[in-house]
Amino acid sequence: MTTATEARNNIIARQQQTLGHSNEELTSLVEKDRVHRDVYLDPEIFDLEMERIWGQAWVFVGHDSQVKKPGDFITTTIGKEPVVMVRDKKGEVNVVYNRCGHKGAKVVGKPCGNAQMFRCPYHGWTFQLDGTLNATPHKCGYEDTAFDPADPQFSMQKVARVENYRGFVFANLSEQGDDFETFMGAALETIDNMADRSPQGEVEVVGACLPYFHDCNWKMFFENLNDAQHPMVCHGSVGVATKKTVRELPEGTPVPKEVEIISPFGSSYELFDDMGVTVMENGHSFMGGKHSIHSSYSEIPGYMEAMIESHGQEKTERVLGSNRHNTAIYPSFTIKDAVQIIRVVRPVSVDKTLIQTWHFRLKGAPEQMLHRTITYSRLINSPASMVGPDDWDCYARMQESLRSNSAEWVDMRRYIGREESADGLTRAKGTSDLSMRNQYKAWTNYMTQTSEQEA
Amino acid sequence: MSTNTAQTLYTQPQTSELEQFLYHEADLLDNNDLKSWMELFTEDGTYWMPVARDQDDPHGHISILFENRAVMAVRANNFGHRLSASMEYDIRTSHLIGNVRVTEFDENSGDCTVKSNFQAVLYYREQTLFAGTCTHQLKRQGEGYRILQKRVDILNCDAPHRSIMTYI
Ligand SMILES: [Fe+2]
Repeated sequence: MTTATEARNNIIARQQQTLGHSNEELTSLVEKDRVHRDVYLDPEIFDLEMERIWGQAWVFVGHDSQVKKPGDFITTTIGKEPVVMVRDKKGEVNVVYNRCGHKGAKVVGKPCGNAQMFRCPYHGWTFQLDGTLNATPHKCGYEDTAFDPADPQFSMQKVARVENYRGFVFANLSEQGDDFETFMGAALETIDNMADRSPQGEVEVVGACLPYFHDCNWKMFFENLNDAQHPMVCHGSVGVATKKTVRELPEGTPVPKEVEIISPFGSSYELFDDMGVTVMENGHSFMGGKHSIHSSYSEIPGYMEAMIESHGQEKTERVLGSNRHNTAIYPSFTIKDAVQIIRVVRPVSVDKTLIQTWHFRLKGAPEQMLHRTITYSRLINSPASMVGPDDWDCYARMQESLRSNSAEWVDMRRYIGREESADGLTRAKGTSDLSMRNQYKAWTNYMTQTSEQEA
Repeated sequence: MSTNTAQTLYTQPQTSELEQFLYHEADLLDNNDLKSWMELFTEDGTYWMPVARDQDDPHGHISILFENRAVMAVRANNFGHRLSASMEYDIRTSHLIGNVRVTEFDENSGDCTVKSNFQAVLYYREQTLFAGTCTHQLKRQGEGYRILQKRVDILNCDAPHRSIMTYI
C-alpha cells in the first residue's frame, strides 16, 4: 500500500536525482545579505519549493467557521495539491486530497458547498466525508482483481497532519517535522490575540473572500509583508491625495472615517523604524507590537464595555494593547490581528500567485467592528483599492526586470548586523531587511533538508 | 409628498432621456474625468461593485468597490499621481451600454431605477474585458438626475482579478 506521504517522498527522491539542483547549488543561491534571482525566476526551483517548502511546512487551509455543519466543505490548494476541507458527521474537520482514487479526476469542483458524501462525476466512485472509499458502481468487474477497497490509494487520501487551532485549520503534507505549536512559535500569539479581541474569544469568517491575482512569484508578496521601506515611496500618492481631499472639504465637514485607515500608509521612515520588525524560527515575522499603523483607530461604542465584561480590565488591556502589523507565517499566511483580516498565499506558478483575503467577525462585538474590517480591506487590499495595486505593480516590475542579464543578485543587506536577540526573538528597526533574510534562512533549511534525510 | 394632494405628478421618463444620462456618465469615465464624474452623484451617493452574486450588504460583507463621495475625491486626487507606482501606466476605458430599462419609477418624486447591460474594456498594462449589469438609482433634481447609487455587477465578480484601476 502506498500512502500519499510515501508517494510524495518518492517524488522528492526522484527529483533530487533528476533535477539539476543539488543541495550545494540551492545553498549557493542564498547569501547572508542577498539572494540570486533564480529563486524568483526558475520554474524548476518553483516545483522544488512546492515539494520541499509547501510539502513540509504547516500551510493554512481554512477556518472551521467556513464549514459549520456536517458535510460543509471548501476546496483549495496546498502548494500544487488540490484539497478539500470538510466537516464529517462526527463533527471533525478533515483535509483530504481532491483526487479520485480511481482515475485521478478532481472530485469536488465547487469552491464551497454541502455534501452527504463525495461522488466523482466521471465514473461514480463515492467517498465518505473523511475521504475513505464508500462504494464503486457495478462491483462485479473488480472480482478476482485483487482490488482492496480499504487500500488508501483507492480513497481520497487524508493529508498527513491537520491541526485546528481556535478554528484556524492548518495542514502539513508530511508526517515528519515540527509539530504545529513548535512550527508556529510566537506567531501563535497573533492568532490568540485576534480571537481574544472577541468578547466571546471566538471569531468567524464573514462572507466570500476577495481574490487577487498577482503577476509575481509568491515570495515577492511574502517579502513585502514586513517591508517597511516601501510604503512612503510606493504608496506615496495616496497619503498626499487623502490630505489634499481633507483640505478641500468645505469648512465644518467632519473628517471621513476612511481617512484614519488610509493616512498611515503615508507615514515616515521614522515611524516605521520605531514600529520595529521581529523575526522568529521557520521564517515567521511581524511588525509593531506595542504600536503599529493600527494603534490610533477611533473607539467603537460598546466594544470596550463588552470586552471588559467578558475578559476583565486586565486581560482587555493586554489584548488590545498588542498591535502587530502583518504577522507573516511562512509560507502561506498573514494575519492582521488588530483588523481581523487574513491573507492567504496560493502559489500558481513561478510568476503567478493568488492572494485570498478573508474577513472575520469578532463574536459578541458591535457590528461596526466588522464594518471597519470590511472598510479597511476594501481600501487597502482590494484589487480596486488605491494601495494594493501599487504593491502589485512593484512585484510585477521585479518579475519583469529580474530577467535582465545586467545583474544576478537581489539585495537584502539593510541594517544587517544591527539586530538584537532575546527570548528566541530577533528584533531590528522596522525598515530593516531582517524579515527577508530570516525567510531565506527558512527557505534554505526547507530546500536542502527533506523528510527522508531527517527520518 | 403625500400631504400635497395638488402636486403635479412626474411622468415616467423616456428611455432615450436616461440613455443620454448613462452615455454622459460613461463618457466622463472614458475621459478619466473623475472630478466631473463624481459630481453626478448626490452628496450621499455611492458606487458599488459587489464581489458576490446577489450581494445585498456593502457594509458587513466585502466588495471589490464601495465608495462614497469622500473616497471618490481621494481617488480623483490620486489618479495619475506621480508618486504612485501603479499610476505610471496609462489607464483607459471604453464603455458600451445597452438594454436600458426602467425597473422602478416613483411618480411623486420622479426618482427612478435604471438597469442597463454594459461591456467595458479596461486597458492598463494589458487589455481586460468587463461585462455585466449596472443598476443606477437616480434622484430627480430639477430637469435632470443625480446618482444615489451606481451598482455594477460584473459577470466574474467572484473571480480573481488583476488590478482594477478605475471605476467601470
Ligand atoms: Fe505596500
